[in-house]
Amino acid sequence: MEQKILTSKELLNDLVDKHYEGALRAKAEGKPVVWATSICPQELLETMDLVTVYPENHAAAIGAKKEALKFIEHAEGMGYSSDICSYARVNMGYVDLKHSDELNIPMPDLIFCCSNICNTVIKWYENLAKELNIPLIMFDMPFNHTYEVPEHSVKYMRGQIEYAIEQLEIFTNKKFDYDKFGEVMERSNRTCEWWKKATDWAKVIPSPLNGFDMFNYMAMIVCMRGNADGERLFKLWHDELEQKAKLGKGPWNSADEEYRVMWDGIACWPHLSTTFKTLKKYGINMVTSTYPESWNVRYEKNDLDGMARAYASNYANRNLDYDTENVVKLIQDFKLDGIVYHSNRSCKLMDFRQYEVQRRVTEITSCPSVVFDGDQTDPRSFSAAQYETRIQALLEMMEKNKEAKRRG
Amino acid sequence: MYLGIDIGSSSSKAVILNEDNEIVGISVKNLGTGTKAYKEVITDVMQQANIEDKDIKYTVVTGYGRITFEDADKQITEITCHATGVGYYLDDVRTIVDIGGQDSKVIKLNEKGQVENFVMNEKCAAGTGRFLEVMARVLGCGLDELSNLATKATKQVAISSVCTVFAESEVISRLSAGESIENVARGSHIAIAKRIMGMCNRVGYTPKVVMTGGVALNADMVQVLSTELGCEIEVLPNCQAIGALGAAILARRTYNKLEA
Amino acid sequence: MEYRKIIEKLEEAALHPSKTVTNTIKSTGKSAIGCFPIYTPEEIIYAAGYVPVGMWGGTTTLQLADKYLQSFCCSIMRSNMEYGMKGAYNMLEAVILPTFCDTLKCICENWKVGVPNIPIIPIVYPQNRTLECGYVYMLDEFKRVKVEIERLSGKKIEEKDIEAAFDIYEEYRVTMREFVEIVADYPQIIKTKSRHLIIKAGQFLDKGEYTKDIKAIIDGLKVEEKQTFKGTKIIATGLMSEPVELLEIFDENQIAIVGDDLAQESRQWRTVTRDDEVDVWNKMTSRVADQRGDTFFYEYMKSRGENLIDMVKEKSADGIVVFMMKFCDPEEYDYPIYKKEVEAAGIPMLYLEIDQQITSYEQLRTRIQSFSEMLISREA
Repeated sequence: MEQKILTSKELLNDLVDKHYEGALRAKAEGKPVVWATSICPQELLETMDLVTVYPENHAAAIGAKKEALKFIEHAEGMGYSSDICSYARVNMGYVDLKHSDELNIPMPDLIFCCSNICNTVIKWYENLAKELNIPLIMFDMPFNHTYEVPEHSVKYMRGQIEYAIEQLEIFTNKKFDYDKFGEVMERSNRTCEWWKKATDWAKVIPSPLNGFDMFNYMAMIVCMRGNADGERLFKLWHDELEQKAKLGKGPWNSADEEYRVMWDGIACWPHLSTTFKTLKKYGINMVTSTYPESWNVRYEKNDLDGMARAYASNYANRNLDYDTENVVKLIQDFKLDGIVYHSNRSCKLMDFRQYEVQRRVTEITSCPSVVFDGDQTDPRSFSAAQYETRIQALLEMMEKNKEAKRRG
Repeated sequence: MYLGIDIGSSSSKAVILNEDNEIVGISVKNLGTGTKAYKEVITDVMQQANIEDKDIKYTVVTGYGRITFEDADKQITEITCHATGVGYYLDDVRTIVDIGGQDSKVIKLNEKGQVENFVMNEKCAAGTGRFLEVMARVLGCGLDELSNLATKATKQVAISSVCTVFAESEVISRLSAGESIENVARGSHIAIAKRIMGMCNRVGYTPKVVMTGGVALNADMVQVLSTELGCEIEVLPNCQAIGALGAAILARRTYNKLEA
Repeated sequence: MEYRKIIEKLEEAALHPSKTVTNTIKSTGKSAIGCFPIYTPEEIIYAAGYVPVGMWGGTTTLQLADKYLQSFCCSIMRSNMEYGMKGAYNMLEAVILPTFCDTLKCICENWKVGVPNIPIIPIVYPQNRTLECGYVYMLDEFKRVKVEIERLSGKKIEEKDIEAAFDIYEEYRVTMREFVEIVADYPQIIKTKSRHLIIKAGQFLDKGEYTKDIKAIIDGLKVEEKQTFKGTKIIATGLMSEPVELLEIFDENQIAIVGDDLAQESRQWRTVTRDDEVDVWNKMTSRVADQRGDTFFYEYMKSRGENLIDMVKEKSADGIVVFMMKFCDPEEYDYPIYKKEVEAAGIPMLYLEIDQQITSYEQLRTRIQSFSEMLISREA
């Protein structure tokens, strides 16, 4: 195939297919498969050439393809409460049913879990290992109550990396190749840099990036940070956005960007189109979220402490001061007119800090915002009518600000 | 003569059994706990059986109102009573689905017809009769009209919201988007069936499945649930009074045990 | 004091936490430090000359806490936040909070803003507590907390103070293990509600004094005659068996708790301290490393179900009752796993969804009574 003529979107679709087909094929050939959390030190797995799939990605895809309810209801039948994370419910349902009409993934032989995104994954992955009776490597990344990651935390995580390497050597029955590890670290850093640089193009007005596209690319920054495909994809995406920005092109062909907002929290996958269209109808472009920074995992090559610190620094693992600063910076850098906070029934860690972050950010920046009720994959916890009303309220506030600015 | 009374949240029922274990009085009123309806059904069954207070040897009360009702010899829960009442008609039932006004329950029975396990809905109106009442109100029809409407549905409309408040707004927006009342009525049945299905899975259901309670009179609801479960559902005669019947049977058994 | 009088005294103390804590502060002459659930290092607090007191929420109208927390937040934490904000905890010098779950992490952050007058000391327990690096981290965290408390009191905590405090707590734990054992033999004397209140009282009293009371109760029970119990015996699992109105329904139905796996009760003391550790810090740390079947500690191949089944067998219990605190993620994740194991073992199990602001007990009453009817009909 002539790779030059591929757009990043086409490449993205190809890579998604390649990722899942490759994993299924590997399993069929008897190779071990790993299931891992979305912001885990995948460098270790990549170094060991382990085929890895990400249940969070899978659940999101199942959600977007409107098949989630089947698995959710099945998991609830097994005894999972409807109050727990819907990614976990989709995944535990899938583990039992083992088949999706939309997208299949191979069953795992090893579980790789990192708690920098929440403690929920500890419980979820502990259950996976037990249900499937397979080994589990647990990375515990203590929550940072202080602004910075404390030194004894770094030491603890460093110890876990060393232990994980030993475990992986036992699991794969081969030596860990430290030279290769260095290369993977380098590449992962480059890929993350391209991801960050690409999403940074949304700072331009109008933004060449429609943030809902970013949600699509996100799946790949989860699973392809450490390999050449990922680097190629994000470089290409970056170049396209640069091109568009230089031509002054906005996010859509059919409408102009009137307002720029950030989206706080995970997408409502089953209602992606409703949430997108409602915004677009009013000329509202979601230009950024907390996610570009989440996968901007950066450290010096061969610096294990730095790597531990980078992974532990994910915003979900940080205190309120950091969270507030982070959003304020996004408002300034991306010249935002408003914020949409997704009170996501699945994610208590994000929700229970959201009100306070919203208050502080409003106080510091006067940037208008709304909160709406939804869920990342459970279609039952969202009301289109409520969403529309809240967005209209945001629009009115943003209009007023714009009007005031026009009048000077 | 043995009296069984079931004071539910939205209806009151009474049954009288004679010494030969025959039903000699049965009465159902669609008013529940907090009203005087229980008195009416008791008077009603006494008249049917043509007996007086002194002829009643033993009374068992069940249902939400059982705690505050003072004139019974014993109070027993609706779980045990439904299981017992079902046994009056059939001895091979393994699963009972009872959709009540504010509680729904799925009861699993062992081969002896005893309760092996049960689940009830959590604190939420989804999957209860209350949900249907709200739907009927939004559709502007009577509760008893839902079934006929739903059987005329031409397609499956999903009402996905779990929360009754959300579901209400979802239904309103469906109707204003031009969806027919019939299709939405069916949709609300499917929504309940999905909740009940979850409870059935939790308890681990097996056929034969019977449905009791007032909602069992809604033929379309029974049909939809049967499709969801992938097995046939039987509706017993006097399905609304099964709890009261069970109470009467237990009254007779308890009395005979005490005498023996 | 006659042991039944002590029981009454403790029941009363548990029913009025605020009053009890105020009395404890008065009678001991010490200041109090609040301990969020669960496993706060009370020994360190005690060694510094404070009384550690438990913070397990309570029934209250939730108004202020809504400023920080959505309605789908665990009710213990909503209550704690509410109490903090409305000043009910003003008698506390500081609070300590372990970040065992996502909700606790957020509560800690919100507390700093919402209750600025009461300093909060977070403590992070390592999930990889059996690895060397996790063990060291735990030790470091304990020592960090020690420094924080020293800063608060302005006094250095000597090694001998912490050893003495540890001994007092160790005696408390040994005594409590004996207490729950013996109570199972006397369900007619110490009913379910009473058992809970006696245990809970320890959260608000000086542990040294409290342990003496429990010993007196144990001695009192030992001379009583054991009677056959006609009711139902169960093992309780979950965070806590409250509200107490619920336990009244247990007592009405003659259901006795003969063993528990509750965070507020046996999980606090069931792990036996290693006798080969000399250093007190290692004793404390190894207790964390050795805890099994606990929802808040990562454990490969989770042993909770197995533990519950063993408890049922050991105590000849008739079944298990799950006190599921609504919106408690860790507990909700454990349930499907042990449910499967318990069902496979043919043990009846009752699931009760609870929260601290329950207003109607009717459905719960039906569940509890049905469960007891079910067990009785089975025996027949």
